[in-house]
Amino acid sequence: MADAVNQRRPSSWGVLLLVGRPLLSFFATLAGAVFLVSALLYFAPGNAADILAQDETLRVALMEEWGLNQSLFEQYRAFLANAVQGDFGVSLTYRQGTPVSEIIAAKAPATLGLVLGALLLSIVVGTSMAYWSASRANSISRRVIQWASVPPVFLLAYLSMVGLDAWAYNSTVALGEPPPSWFPLLMEASSLKTALAITALALGSSALTEIHGSVEEEIQRIRSSGYVDAAKARGAKLWPHTLSNLLPSITTLVSSRAAFFLGGVIVVEKVFGLHGLGDVLWEACRKRDFPLVLGITLFTATIVCGARLVGDWTRMALDPRLRGSS
Amino acid sequence: MTLGGRLGMVVLMLLLGTWSMSLLMNYDVVLDVDPSRANLGLSVDHWLGTDDSGRDVLKRLIKGTEAFVGPGLLACFVAALIAIPGGAWAGWVGGWKAEAIRFVFTVLASLPRFVLVLLICSIYGTDGSTLGIAAGAAYAPALSEAVYNRVSSFRAAGFVMAAKAHGLRTSRILGWHILWVNGRALIAKNLLQLFSYFLLIETTLSFLGDFGVQEPLPSWGNMISRDALQGGVTGLNLWATLAPILAIWIAILGCTLLAQSLKEADNG
Repeated sequence: MADAVNQRRPSSWGVLLLVGRPLLSFFATLAGAVFLVSALLYFAPGNAADILAQDETLRVALMEEWGLNQSLFEQYRAFLANAVQGDFGVSLTYRQGTPVSEIIAAKAPATLGLVLGALLLSIVVGTSMAYWSASRANSISRRVIQWASVPPVFLLAYLSMVGLDAWAYNSTVALGEPPPSWFPLLMEASSLKTALAITALALGSSALTEIHGSVEEEIQRIRSSGYVDAAKARGAKLWPHTLSNLLPSITTLVSSRAAFFLGGVIVVEKVFGLHGLGDVLWEACRKRDFPLVLGITLFTATIVCGARLVGDWTRMALDPRLRGSS
Repeated sequence: MTLGGRLGMVVLMLLLGTWSMSLLMNYDVVLDVDPSRANLGLSVDHWLGTDDSGRDVLKRLIKGTEAFVGPGLLACFVAALIAIPGGAWAGWVGGWKAEAIRFVFTVLASLPRFVLVLLICSIYGTDGSTLGIAAGAAYAPALSEAVYNRVSSFRAAGFVMAAKAHGLRTSRILGWHILWVNGRALIAKNLLQLFSYFLLIETTLSFLGDFGVQEPLPSWGNMISRDALQGGVTGLNLWATLAPILAIWIAILGCTLLAQSLKEADNG
């Protein structure tokens, strides 16, 4: 038995391979993502020079200056070479001349805060509800989560905005002011709106249902396994076994949900009027500010791949079976 | 089939029925404008009332299905076309070829779906077919991964060995024995999820404006946002807003219930 354990312990080269393989796939995937986005942009029917320039000579000059007339591979190589040095080009139409990295650095914290908040909320609520409902065959909570979680994020966000406005309107009327004939939507950011945004993001578009469902399935699988029976037989506590076997699948869930919430955060920021990266991406897409679009999509891809990388490493640290295979 | 699955089936049939009704219905989105009958409540003439331009809410609700049913089916077709052969072949051959194919799908999945769809829409326009292709491509990695896992788990199964020993062609084993007999519920579940995801994306884009369906053409998304943009709270037209909200809610709930029932059927 001890021999078997020792045999499975990888050598230092093995460790390097185990740690390095996900890292290699991280960089390869990112390079692929940049290529995908630049190919999509390259074959675009119009570019920023067409929008800005009124006459042909200016358009040609702009194309020349921004490097838009180079071939796809030249543009790709130039972008990668600059990106490695932290230079993602300058914004063309959104905020002309501002470096893309500056815009991203200024807007990213708020957006990442929303995404992290939604991740934390949905995982904690989903897991604890799954822990509670896994032993109940037809729990009412499962149904309630499903019905509440079905509406898309924009609908939940919109409904809570309308609720906020109605509340503000009614309190104005209650103060004895004459009811205004037109009541504007509250567009300033506030902590209440941030909290509502996080809740809408964590709940909407079936996010909570999916987390709840997959954690519940996993708990049921763990509870019906041999080691839980053995723990029961010797009278040990069950939850440490369940939890330690649950953690690897939760890390997978976190990394896949991160991508989902990064998409949803655009909608939430638009509806609540919170000015973050999602809002900038939307405007950049609208104004065809392609360097900015490329920069932001690359930034999101980095986070998605980074989450997957951290998830892979965490799973290896948590699950000895994954370490032993090489 | 569970009760939820039956309910979901009814909703899906209603949706498809409404869509075909809309294709047959002769509804002119511009001629229906009549400010003299703006914001009417429920009545016999207008079952769900009228909106702020005096347009019939029910007719617009029916017309709004055209924005997502056709393109949603296109999205399913695109995803199936890319992901099923890719995933099945990767699962069947294994090795570095499988890794190469899965890498392509991993790259596609490294951008969040909504970001990818938004990107494609901003570059190639926002008509329904572009949106359908974009959503199909964005969903393809999930479908191909599911197909890949299914096929690779059956690659060395006893019945596959037996079929090989009988001299059956690979396409027959893969297409019939594995994908159809052992994977059709899984594939149907994924395609249904894509369909409801498309409904979600289309209504979201149309709600936010800029991309998606533009006025005067109706979509369930832009029918909601009309009031948000104009009257604020005091000008909220209850039925014109509530009807599309409920329609979206019921449609997605139906798809979710049916997908869940398909998943249970897949588990056996």
